[in-house]
Amino acid sequence: MAGFLSALRRIYLSLYNWTVFIGWFQVLYFAVKALREGGPTTVYDAVEKPLQLAQTAAVLEILHGIVGLVRSPVSATLPQIGSRLFLVWGILWSIPETRTHVLVSSLVISWSITEIIRYSFFGMKEALGFAPSWLLWLRYSTFLILYPTGITSEVGLIYVALPFIKASEKYCIRMPNKWNFTFDYFYASIIALAIYVPGSPHMYGYMLGQRKKALSKSKTA
Amino acid sequence: MKVNLVSRSGREVVKGGIELTDEFKVLFLGVRFQATVSDLQEAIHARIKKYYPSRQRLTLPLQAGCKGKPVVLIPKKKLADYCDGNANNLTVVFKDLGVQVSYSTLFFWEYLGPLVIYPVFYYFPVYKYFGYEGERTIYPVQTYALYYWCFHYFKRILETFFVHRFSHATSPLSHVFRNCAYYWTFGAYIAYHVNHPLYTPVGDFQIKIGFTFGLICQLANFYCHLILRNLRSPDGNGGYQIPRGFLFNIVTCANYTTEIYQWLGFNMATQTIPGCVFLVVATLIMTNWALAKHRRLKKLFDGKEGRPRYPRRWVILPPFM
Repeated sequence: MAGFLSALRRIYLSLYNWTVFIGWFQVLYFAVKALREGGPTTVYDAVEKPLQLAQTAAVLEILHGIVGLVRSPVSATLPQIGSRLFLVWGILWSIPETRTHVLVSSLVISWSITEIIRYSFFGMKEALGFAPSWLLWLRYSTFLILYPTGITSEVGLIYVALPFIKASEKYCIRMPNKWNFTFDYFYASIIALAIYVPGSPHMYGYMLGQRKKALSKSKTA
Repeated sequence: MKVNLVSRSGREVVKGGIELTDEFKVLFLGVRFQATVSDLQEAIHARIKKYYPSRQRLTLPLQAGCKGKPVVLIPKKKLADYCDGNANNLTVVFKDLGVQVSYSTLFFWEYLGPLVIYPVFYYFPVYKYFGYEGERTIYPVQTYALYYWCFHYFKRILETFFVHRFSHATSPLSHVFRNCAYYWTFGAYIAYHVNHPLYTPVGDFQIKIGFTFGLICQLANFYCHLILRNLRSPDGNGGYQIPRGFLFNIVTCANYTTEIYQWLGFNMATQTIPGCVFLVVATLIMTNWALAKHRRLKKLFDGKEGRPRYPRRWVILPPFM
């Protein structure tokens, strides 16, 4: 019974990882194609559907962590997925004026390369039981460049969106109301920006630590 | 005896170790005493000025391969109690806990914020800067909420200085910034909404019930604090006893229970989402503490070797936990 469940888990996780891998591969392919054919302003429209699907599917990973299907700590994945969903739905989808900005290209390319490596790494481990050392190296080295480029794109796009958020009054709840509640999307976005200040060095430092652990372990293995 | 003081990475903290003689205390009282952990702490402080005793965490080295938590050296105990074989040589692991502040200092600053910030939103024309010009009408409930809130935090400050007996003398300095951020931010967040010019009060009956219930719970909470105080002796040893009497007969952390219910009363009367968010977060934090305390008491009072057995009780919020 235990063996059956463990095999089921492996099949499910292999399917999950390879499916999302294909999604991000499409994002990269369509992004590069659009860049060459139409230029940076056309990238968003080309990648919108696979981007939204692949990124939103990541919510399942939080579930996997909670249920114990995978070992990743929820505390590390939650802020990462939170910021991604905020960008995909809260900025790009909600504030159309941001879609033609050049930072969209750097954003989706940084994200898609990172995710292609990450999902194929996990996909291989689940399906084949191992991952080649060059893929391990890629997984724990490309972030050195892609984290800064990705974070800069994220911060930049939120900043670009701010005046449009303020003008549109989108997602705002004003008083008076029965529950004496207010929500101002403009100020919430500014707080989100502020979180990047301590958050980015924290995430980068965490990955540096992971890199040290993963690459030294493979040396002694 | 000689004590080798090492850091967790194995580095020698004090070169050559610390020499403690039995005569260490002879000069003081003229009687031969055996050196205590406290003597060791004083000796370390004398060698390295910045490491005052409350900053030191001293443990026995973990045996290789042994899991679990290391044995912490208790100040009042004799060093000899921790040497199992060699009475002349002891290795102690040292950890610097960082700059420490007294619990009273920590509590005072974190409670002062809400006490001062809330009235600012009530008395001063703050909302002008948020774009709300003109006079605002103040409802009675907003005035009562001000009194209730300020009474609550004033009570907390008084309890800090006159009632509580803390388990540890100090807390890390970083906690001051963390805790003040928590209390002061939530204080401003709630104060902004309750005193808002467009605030909508609930019905009179709900307001009366809310504040009355809350006040009763605050008084009950004070009584719980008195009971807890009397469990500890004034010379500041800390330590843990089985709480008895009043609500403690039913629930281990009756003090947290009454605190949660008193915020419930406040929210019943004022009905704001920010107030409710604060209630939920505070409940989660206190539940964490309560679980740890309940577990600790059950472990300490296991009924073996003449110790009493910890009675069956709710942890914090009957009938849920």
